[in-house]
Amino acid sequence: MQRTAIILLFGFIIAWTGTIVHAQAQNPGAADDTLISPARQALAKDGLVRGLDLDASVVIDTFYYHDDSEEGFAHVKEEISGFGHSHGAGDDDHHHAEVENGFNLRHIELGLSAAVDPYFRAYTTLAFEDGNTEIEEAVIQTSSLPFALTLSGGKFFSGIGRINRQHSHEWDFFDQPLVYELLFGPHGLQEKGVQLTWLAPTPFYLLFGAEAFNGDNEKMFQSVEADELPEKDGPRLYTGFLKAGPDLGDRHAAQVGLSFAYGRHQEAHDGNADGADDHWLDGESTLWGVDAVYKYNAKRPHGQGDVVIQAEYFNRLKDLQVEQHDLIPAFTGRDREDHQDGYYIQALYGFAPRWRAGARWEQVGLINDVELPNLTEENFDPSSRAAFMIDWKLSEFSALRAQAARGEYETEEGDETVWEYILQWQVTFGKHAAHAF
Amino acid sequence: MQIFLSALMLGCVLLFGLPADGLAADGGRPLILTTTTDLADITRAIVGDRAEVASIADGKEDPHFLTARPGYIVKARDADAWVRVGLELEIGWEGPILRDSRNPKIQEGAPGHIDASADVWVLDIPRRPVTRDMGDVHPHGNPHYWLDPLNGRIAARTIATRLAMLFPDHAATFEANLRGFEKQLDEAMFGPAPVARHGGQRLWKLLLEEQPLPADPAPQGWYGLLAPYRGRAIVTYHRSWIYLAHRFGLTIPVELEPKPGIPPGAKHLAAVIETVRAEKARVILQEPFYSRKAADLVAGNTDAAVVVCPNTVHGSPEVSSYLQLIDRVVQRLAQAMAPTR
Repeated sequence: MQRTAIILLFGFIIAWTGTIVHAQAQNPGAADDTLISPARQALAKDGLVRGLDLDASVVIDTFYYHDDSEEGFAHVKEEISGFGHSHGAGDDDHHHAEVENGFNLRHIELGLSAAVDPYFRAYTTLAFEDGNTEIEEAVIQTSSLPFALTLSGGKFFSGIGRINRQHSHEWDFFDQPLVYELLFGPHGLQEKGVQLTWLAPTPFYLLFGAEAFNGDNEKMFQSVEADELPEKDGPRLYTGFLKAGPDLGDRHAAQVGLSFAYGRHQEAHDGNADGADDHWLDGESTLWGVDAVYKYNAKRPHGQGDVVIQAEYFNRLKDLQVEQHDLIPAFTGRDREDHQDGYYIQALYGFAPRWRAGARWEQVGLINDVELPNLTEENFDPSSRAAFMIDWKLSEFSALRAQAARGEYETEEGDETVWEYILQWQVTFGKHAAHAF
Repeated sequence: MQIFLSALMLGCVLLFGLPADGLAADGGRPLILTTTTDLADITRAIVGDRAEVASIADGKEDPHFLTARPGYIVKARDADAWVRVGLELEIGWEGPILRDSRNPKIQEGAPGHIDASADVWVLDIPRRPVTRDMGDVHPHGNPHYWLDPLNGRIAARTIATRLAMLFPDHAATFEANLRGFEKQLDEAMFGPAPVARHGGQRLWKLLLEEQPLPADPAPQGWYGLLAPYRGRAIVTYHRSWIYLAHRFGLTIPVELEPKPGIPPGAKHLAAVIETVRAEKARVILQEPFYSRKAADLVAGNTDAAVVVCPNTVHGSPEVSSYLQLIDRVVQRLAQAMAPTR
């Protein structure tokens, strides 16, 4: 048996190395090389040059912000009916440094990437802000799997939706849409786990993806440590998505996506605000979404005449059971269901070389139903926001943006209308890799 | 347990031992994907009907700025070879296409990834570290090298050599086609009679060594057309024509862009107008995808005429091959600099 194993192992090694083609530079025509530039003749015999750099880039994003809400727009967002997050009493409210009226600095992004070896590449994005450093992404990715597969592992943004995997400096607007922040939190769906994607052998672009994550999302897919709640090992969250890009010819490009996520979810609440949790819920969340983008390339310099139209819709159901209720023991074992949705649609137009204007309309809570353990149902109205922005890309590396937005929000403290005004100044420096479609 | 281990090892042998090249291209003919239309035309001249050739860029826009699209990824997935201009012309968009194609044959460093700049004569190699406040400067040299017909000839040989190595069954055909392309190019450059008499290779060598070309028969072709204007000055919009100027002995004292990629401003254009008058430049040369406003302003204040020519194949309807690309700009330049204009 051992001998068979050794023979098989050798066979595997030989077969694997056999797939690596060795290039021997041969000059079949015995041509006269004397026209070739002498500095390059040394390289002429071996055309294979591997890059050995580490790509490192930094993003600095500073902005002036003003909103006319009394308690601040960040507070309003937390109170939007149907989307309130669940923090236990003891939880430290971890927020990004809150945006304040005045000058702000978004977290500094340091991105590092390189090819590791012929089998893997890796990249990481670190976010620095005062008093806090976060690993936004740290990914190891295969580069030579057969059958057009790619496996990624580490901590990263899920491939669901379209904006989810974009860093803040790639956004077309100053901020992410409401539906993202309310369903996933300020980081989007960002998890530790693995992702497998497959590029299908179709004449048009068709990508399938599946992910397995621990489940650390405080809005929809979290695991709470409490004696009152059952423990479940990760992975607790699974997603699937597909993206299709039909061939529309020269000037037009489009991509459509479908996303699905399912995972365990637990919540702990402090019902009587006495500093200790008193009821615990356990169950699952299900999410599905659809996204689409259309791009028109006018073929003029610096994006003049280009059009981009993009929209996403998400629908989520949190299906929980009261595991234990200290205040009202009768609720133990009862269900609590939260069903909400949200969408945005945005359009961008390059009205002059390097200049773009954009408009975005979004709504959350068109479906906004809560079934409570007291056997009643609550239904809330939607909230909406319209935003308009102009940005000026002085080069591929620097941009100025002005944005104004007006939203009407249905909150637990009543209706509120909020205006926001932003001036943003953003640069990236270092060797920055190109962005995806 | 033993059966499980054997099955696992067999699975590994199969999975990793299989050629990791995905699916085959159409009915047996290799697919060669080039980044630009110029490389596509040169590659087509080399492969004839033995391979399918397609280009990512369509020639109608600035090749620096392409936006990656899903359609490019699908093409790259199926390609057996990838040809790029190099010198970081494609740095803004090549990476994601190669990576998302999951095609190991065309990754940088693989034999199927062909950099056509390998043997060309490069100009504008920076002598000091490049920083981004210089504008859009390429640290390895100016990438618009295909506008020098000698570089087009050299790139064709680089491509043909590597393709012959990748597809040895067709090596003889590629070599024969390459010689045919070289002959066509030499005849366009010097005229059929001088090439027949002295051989294109020798004429190019004399030109490179800055020796006088033989006078019997007198050189015609592109060389002959622009010979009377050697030493003259022209002005261009972007720093994309230096190779053409260098090959035909023209000088470019200034560009309309104050720095590469930075649009012309009033102050700089005033300096351009002075330079045009001082150097007696008669031509302002630019590509069709740039605005004509700055060029028209300078032309209105001087004796110079605006000449709009594409710098890529298919950049305008009359330019559908590499030889036509060079031919068009050479003819237009000669017309514009003629004394009777």
